[in-house]
Amino acid sequence: MKVLIIGGGKTLYFLCRNFTAKGYEVVLISRNQEECVQLARRLTATVVCGDGSDPAILKEAGAMGADVVLAITPDDQDNLVICQLASLQFGVPRAVALANDPDNAEIFQKLGVSAFSATHIVSSLIEQRASLEQITNLFPVAEGKVNVTEIALDAGFPVAGKLLKEIGLPENALVAVVIRDNQPIVPRGATRLQAGDRVVLITLPENHGPVLKVFTGEEK
Amino acid sequence: MSNSLYIVIVGCGRLGSHLANQLSRVGHSVVVIDRDESTFNDLSSDFSGFRVEGDATQVTVLKEAKLKRADVFFATTHEDNVNLMVAQIARKIFNVPHVLARVFDPRRQQVFDRLGIETICPTSVAAEMFLLAVASGRAAKEEIQP
Amino acid sequence: MREKEYLKQRYAAILSSVGMILVLVGLVMLTPLLVLPAYPGEAKNAWAFALPACSLGLAGLWLKKLFRAASQRALSIQEGGMIVFISWIVAVVFSALPFMFLLGHTFSQAVFEAVSGWTTTGLSMVDVTKASPMILLWRSITQLAGGAGLAVIMMSAIVGPTGVGISIAEGRGDQLVPQVRQSARLVLIIYAGYAVVGTLSYRAVGMSFFDAVNHTFAAISTGGFSTHAESIGYWDSPAVEGVSIPLMLIGNMSFVTAWSLLRGRFRFVIRNGEVRVMAVLMPLSALAVLIFTCQSIYPGLEKATRVAAFETISALTTTGFQTVGYGNWNDLGIFILILLMLIGGGTCSTAGGVKQFRVYLLWKLLVWDIARALLPRSVIMERPIWEDDRRVFVDDARVRQVGVFVFLYSATYLLGVLLMCGCGYTLKEALFEFASALSNSGLSVGVVSPQMPGTAMWALTLSMFLGRLEFLVVITSLIKLVGDGRRLMASTSKQKGG
Repeated sequence: MKVLIIGGGKTLYFLCRNFTAKGYEVVLISRNQEECVQLARRLTATVVCGDGSDPAILKEAGAMGADVVLAITPDDQDNLVICQLASLQFGVPRAVALANDPDNAEIFQKLGVSAFSATHIVSSLIEQRASLEQITNLFPVAEGKVNVTEIALDAGFPVAGKLLKEIGLPENALVAVVIRDNQPIVPRGATRLQAGDRVVLITLPENHGPVLKVFTGEEK
Repeated sequence: MSNSLYIVIVGCGRLGSHLANQLSRVGHSVVVIDRDESTFNDLSSDFSGFRVEGDATQVTVLKEAKLKRADVFFATTHEDNVNLMVAQIARKIFNVPHVLARVFDPRRQQVFDRLGIETICPTSVAAEMFLLAVASGRAAKEEIQP
Repeated sequence: MREKEYLKQRYAAILSSVGMILVLVGLVMLTPLLVLPAYPGEAKNAWAFALPACSLGLAGLWLKKLFRAASQRALSIQEGGMIVFISWIVAVVFSALPFMFLLGHTFSQAVFEAVSGWTTTGLSMVDVTKASPMILLWRSITQLAGGAGLAVIMMSAIVGPTGVGISIAEGRGDQLVPQVRQSARLVLIIYAGYAVVGTLSYRAVGMSFFDAVNHTFAAISTGGFSTHAESIGYWDSPAVEGVSIPLMLIGNMSFVTAWSLLRGRFRFVIRNGEVRVMAVLMPLSALAVLIFTCQSIYPGLEKATRVAAFETISALTTTGFQTVGYGNWNDLGIFILILLMLIGGGTCSTAGGVKQFRVYLLWKLLVWDIARALLPRSVIMERPIWEDDRRVFVDDARVRQVGVFVFLYSATYLLGVLLMCGCGYTLKEALFEFASALSNSGLSVGVVSPQMPGTAMWALTLSMFLGRLEFLVVITSLIKLVGDGRRLMASTSKQKGG
């Protein structure tokens, strides 16, 4: 998979390192000359110095062949334009923008650009400590190709009280075991989930988020 | 006066302030948004619209300018990307009937025409006029020297 | 030479706007003639209004025609101030004429009355028992028009100059909507609404139609002229006072706040500094006056409460209606009234005084200074304050303006009191009456009368004018006029000499 990341700073560096470890082909675009030099020295990725919202630079960075474009600059307007250029002009299948202003996350979605908000993530971390305690990522299996997660079901979760077959799990996800009153139950379609159950899920990295959402009902 | 429009202008530089002054003088209701308060000094003394200080890429600022009431929206900041972003927000989220953005880089302009945002590219316009001047200058020269 | 041409152009633009205003003021001067159907015997006096009205109208038309080319030029704020200055003086002089023609007033007395009308003060030399209804209506109309302001009147015409500079010079810089003309129209509509509601309310509580109209005009403009010598005390009716109080409060409220209220934006109204000042001062002062003054003077708690409430509100809103005379009030009560008058009403309203917003700002500055002293040195503290629906940060320039203004106000006040004492009045009388004039209130302890010495009369006249235009417009316009006059003359003599 070829990933184009546009931005700067430490986030850019660590994201790149993480992706190359997973085996992706990464191209970085940063405006800062010095930063580009450092990145080029320490990473095996291709580093392009320039304005990521300039179509010419995107072309040089190989946007035509990119599968993912990730725009994480500190300016929302640049992130929006980068992603729109990527999908409209270069046909990149997945273009994701960082919305620094959390209000813009919803606005970008309405304009047809996937977006996420760091503010949201951090603030949910702090505010919803309860739900964090309920979700425990267990051991990685098969070199990280499979996630095993345990969730404690809250009464407020949408799945509480539903039959397993009614839940509507995404593809490639499995409810492996339900622990109720310390007794493990291997669930069938007719098993009804209850508040207080601890559910062990098997998911792939791609659907991990959506599956969790189905269980907890949390909006991003 | 009966067709007085509610006009919101983002960016109070040379273009923005000029537009604001003219439109306010003619009787329209004008709201000008700029990040830098000192640019409001470029507004003429008979400008009778409202001034909003803030970053237009934040929706709260656009709401403060009561964008949903607007009939016309002009994006005239120095940054193409800002103009494109706020123009899209004005058009698609606030449903402003008439939206116009200034874009300096002709290469970006093409993509945005596809998104349905009306843009004006000073670079292209100026280039055309310069080229026209060369062409007519050459024609004049050919007349003088047969 | 170039400068002279330039100056001439600027003054052409100025005078063109002045012309427009004079035409409209001329029209306003004709309105007293509307009483003729009800009082046909007054027809013989109609000339006293028709004559000045037509002269004003013609003068205005002439100015407009003469300087037509200049009418579209944008005016700076200083030039707006100049227009206000010139127009007010001309308007006042012509407004004085009916008093001279019909009541036999001297020029000084007539100008006093005219200024008292236009500045919505309400101190009066007119013997209302003998005055013709046209004169009484005229007084009330000058207050109504003065309350609206010449800027608003000018922009009520369909075409003509827009008056951003003029509005600012008259102290009505804040607009309701982002177009100055539309804003002026809205103000007029709101104002007219007040007038209708007021008249109907007064009629409902028993006033005659003529009285209702006159008192409504005087109430919503926080002017205070009355058709009766005892003012509102004439009726001695809780109902009449009950109608007057809300009208005074409405007139005192800034038009911007009124607009917010009409649109249901209560959040901003509550945060408004002036509303808060009113909410605190009104009950406190009424209570203080009740306990320390009225209780002992007036028979029965009901009467005492009515008097305390009414007089304090009349003072704070700088209206000037009275239900009682102050001859038997103790000094504490008198002093509280003086303080209330000087604090005054809301900015961008028809009220006078230092204005509640400034008082609120000064109070907040004190609070902030104390808070600042308690914070560690490196902490940054910003000073936000709500100006109707916007949050503004108070910077030092603002503080300086308010400070200078309060200083000017106090200095003028002290000077005026000095003058009045010099003319033979007691300290109490001087303090009260001068405060009443400077703050455009209109409450009187009896100093104002046709027989008062000329110096004192002019001192009061000038103070009413300065107070209404908030000093700076008058001072800067005068200086500019003198300076420009000299420059225009100098060039001429240079031309003649060489």
